[in-house]
Amino acid sequence: MSTIAHGAAATVRRKPLAGAALFVTTAVALAVGVALPWLVPTKIAMSLLAQAMFDALLATSVGFLILQNGRVSFGQAAFFGLGGYSVGVLIARHWVAPEVAVLIAIILPTLVAFLLGLVIARITGVAHAMLTLAVGQAFYEVVFRWRELAKGDDGMSFNLPRHLFGLSASGLQDPAVMMVLAWTILVLVLFALALFARSRIGQIAAAIRDNEERARFLGYSTMLPRALVYAIAAFIAAIAGVLSACYNGYIAPQMFHWSVSGFALIMAIIGGAKFIIGPAIGAVVLFYIKDYAGQFAEYWPAIVGIILVVVTLTMPRGVVGLAATLWKMRGR
Amino acid sequence: MFIQILNGIVYGGLLYLLAVGLVLIFGLREVVNFAHGSLFMVGAYLGFTVAAMGYWWGGLLVSVVAMAIVGCMLDAAVFRTLRKQDHIVTVLVTFGILLILETTVTAIWGKAYLTYPVPRLLAGTVDIGSSPFPIYRLFVIAVSVAVALSLSAWLRYTRTGLYIRAASTDARVTAMQGINVDRLSLIVVGLGTALAGLSGVVAGPLLSLSPTMGNYILIDSFIVVVIGGLGSFAGAFAAALLIGQIHNFGAVYLPWASTVLPFLLMVAILIWRPTGFAGSRT
Amino acid sequence: MSAYAIEGVGLTRRFGGFAALDGVDIAVKQGEIRGLIGPNGAGKSTLIDVLSGRAPNRGGKVLLNGEDISDLTPQERRRRGMARSFQRTNIFPELTVEQQLRVASWAVAGADIDEVMDELHLTAMADVVAAEISYGDQRHLDLALALVGRPTVLLLDEPAAGLTMEESLSLARILRDLANRWHVTVLLVEHDMQVVFSICDRVTVLHLGRSLSEGTCDEIRADPTVVAAYLGTEA
Repeated sequence: MSTIAHGAAATVRRKPLAGAALFVTTAVALAVGVALPWLVPTKIAMSLLAQAMFDALLATSVGFLILQNGRVSFGQAAFFGLGGYSVGVLIARHWVAPEVAVLIAIILPTLVAFLLGLVIARITGVAHAMLTLAVGQAFYEVVFRWRELAKGDDGMSFNLPRHLFGLSASGLQDPAVMMVLAWTILVLVLFALALFARSRIGQIAAAIRDNEERARFLGYSTMLPRALVYAIAAFIAAIAGVLSACYNGYIAPQMFHWSVSGFALIMAIIGGAKFIIGPAIGAVVLFYIKDYAGQFAEYWPAIVGIILVVVTLTMPRGVVGLAATLWKMRGR
Repeated sequence: MFIQILNGIVYGGLLYLLAVGLVLIFGLREVVNFAHGSLFMVGAYLGFTVAAMGYWWGGLLVSVVAMAIVGCMLDAAVFRTLRKQDHIVTVLVTFGILLILETTVTAIWGKAYLTYPVPRLLAGTVDIGSSPFPIYRLFVIAVSVAVALSLSAWLRYTRTGLYIRAASTDARVTAMQGINVDRLSLIVVGLGTALAGLSGVVAGPLLSLSPTMGNYILIDSFIVVVIGGLGSFAGAFAAALLIGQIHNFGAVYLPWASTVLPFLLMVAILIWRPTGFAGSRT
Repeated sequence: MSAYAIEGVGLTRRFGGFAALDGVDIAVKQGEIRGLIGPNGAGKSTLIDVLSGRAPNRGGKVLLNGEDISDLTPQERRRRGMARSFQRTNIFPELTVEQQLRVASWAVAGADIDEVMDELHLTAMADVVAAEISYGDQRHLDLALALVGRPTVLLLDEPAAGLTMEESLSLARILRDLANRWHVTVLLVEHDMQVVFSICDRVTVLHLGRSLSEGTCDEIRADPTVVAAYLGTEA
């Protein structure tokens, strides 16, 4: 039995957070979000938190694929980049209204992932990791070389419109506003994923992840639920891409790079991909370790590598898994 | 035209040297080594350092031996320890090793591109048809062909080779026959990474050295491994030549297609035979 | 309604030159419990696979309550009332017992799961993750998954594999009892003759991909060809 894609949850009897508790937690988290500008001291800290939220969204996307589909993706940056590029290119060229650009930037990657999911969902394990890596890199190569699209490897700056959905768009580049917005979106995404996990389709998807053949003989077609999970994961990654592109006013092929996918996967694993909130926690933890390790910034990938190796070897269920275990032991 | 084909064979040969190492390791450990590209890169830097002192061939030797040792350590410390875990865990750990190696090399040699010299013996060009062609490139072709021939002879005619082929088919059954798979794996992973070191040195004068030089070629060799049929030596050889040609011809005539075509080919193959090539063995 | 709940006509399945099934005819009456026995490699599991749609059907027909379902997917067969279990325990390890039975019930119009949990003694462990319950309970769960929604036809591939004699007989009694009360037609592959003869109405003997003999338990026990081919060594 595998540790990451399967089995890990078996040792803990997870009582799903009772309905009321879920709503209360979400409400508290949203309230904290509104209070953030008073809690976070400096503009720099706000900007860091906003970026940590982008990472958290992307990691949540990768983790959700593991949690609900049992598939490990090394190419989730494809949808992050696709979201960012769609919004950047469409706004820069004024092809459509900016609001439409945002919608397209979120819907297009979702749709692409759904169609791709129909095809690649039956590929498992190591082959799936290699395949998604290749798909992600294919996108990277295309935007890298296609200079006419967005200046190839130089990347492209773009100006936000004055208004977006009737609100002043310049706020998107204000750390305080973006921090609150990204936090709120992350909380809502996690809330929605928790609801999905308890929904009928969510439990059917979990059953298909656990044992696809038996699910088929119980009367389920397994392609659609799997593709749906791919689509939802891409939807989240696309939101992260749109937010990140708008905040920076800049898009570059780096958004598609496999290192982005790889780091998102690492965050998910470190946080604990068997928990809906695990990847987000992993992202935030890593982000702040990085900030703290500022003077060692040039060794950062190695530090991440070491953390990853240590975590996979010593706590296969990640930080959140460890916390859950400790909590249980305390209760005894 | 003919020169183009030769250039394609050169790149295909390099891909083969890298891909065959991946195939060897995958056969025994059922793990795709994401650190393989960075071992290639480390091999190139080691060779470069010795070559810079004036011993080009010494650099080759040092790199191959050092990488063989690193491979044995990798097998003993990582692959053997994690053999009962989900293979994807091992893949993640190799990804972590990739990050560590890249950073270490950056810290020692810096980020700047370095130029690997061509050995004096192989400098200059020969005329093929009427156009000049670097002798060094012919050397690269010769090395890959020599490796391909000796490897297939070794696998076919020696007892160890027979065991390796058996273990690649089914490691568990082979172990039950009383064959020491762990010792085999030590040899195989050592050999695979030694080949990564060899290809790093050989590729050095063709590519410029940088800590990320292994990434691009790693993905290309993933494609080779998958198209060749995850775990097949002959398949990897054919696929490496094919990707080498696509790479080179595309670069000249169809830059667009050359970048995306290998990826599409890989996706198509995986979809066409998800279990035949990989699914059944993951 | 057809007199037969499940029928296979001329079922054939070849692997290369080897015929795992070589024109097998089988017809099980409504409400009957049919045993399927034969030595290893006789084609028992293959027959279940072809009937349930797991293996492609090449030549031959499968009828469910008189309706030709040869070209239907496993999903469609389940919705028409056919369920099966597998030789190896085939459950959802990470879902709780209740969760997976509920998932199973949604596929058949939200059937009642309490009765199945109750009959198969799973109620006490409803909230436990399936990977953590005992092997015997897992086999019960496996059977329960197939029984959700009271299928009309149940194909069971060694449901008691790996159980002790006592556990096997207990499981067999539950099965017999439920099949009678819920009017389920059962086709049961089972190695253990004691189990087969204790619950089956009739028995079909497969040998080398062909149907060697068919009859009541007594007839099969007395059939000289069966004894020669199969029972002889064990009885």
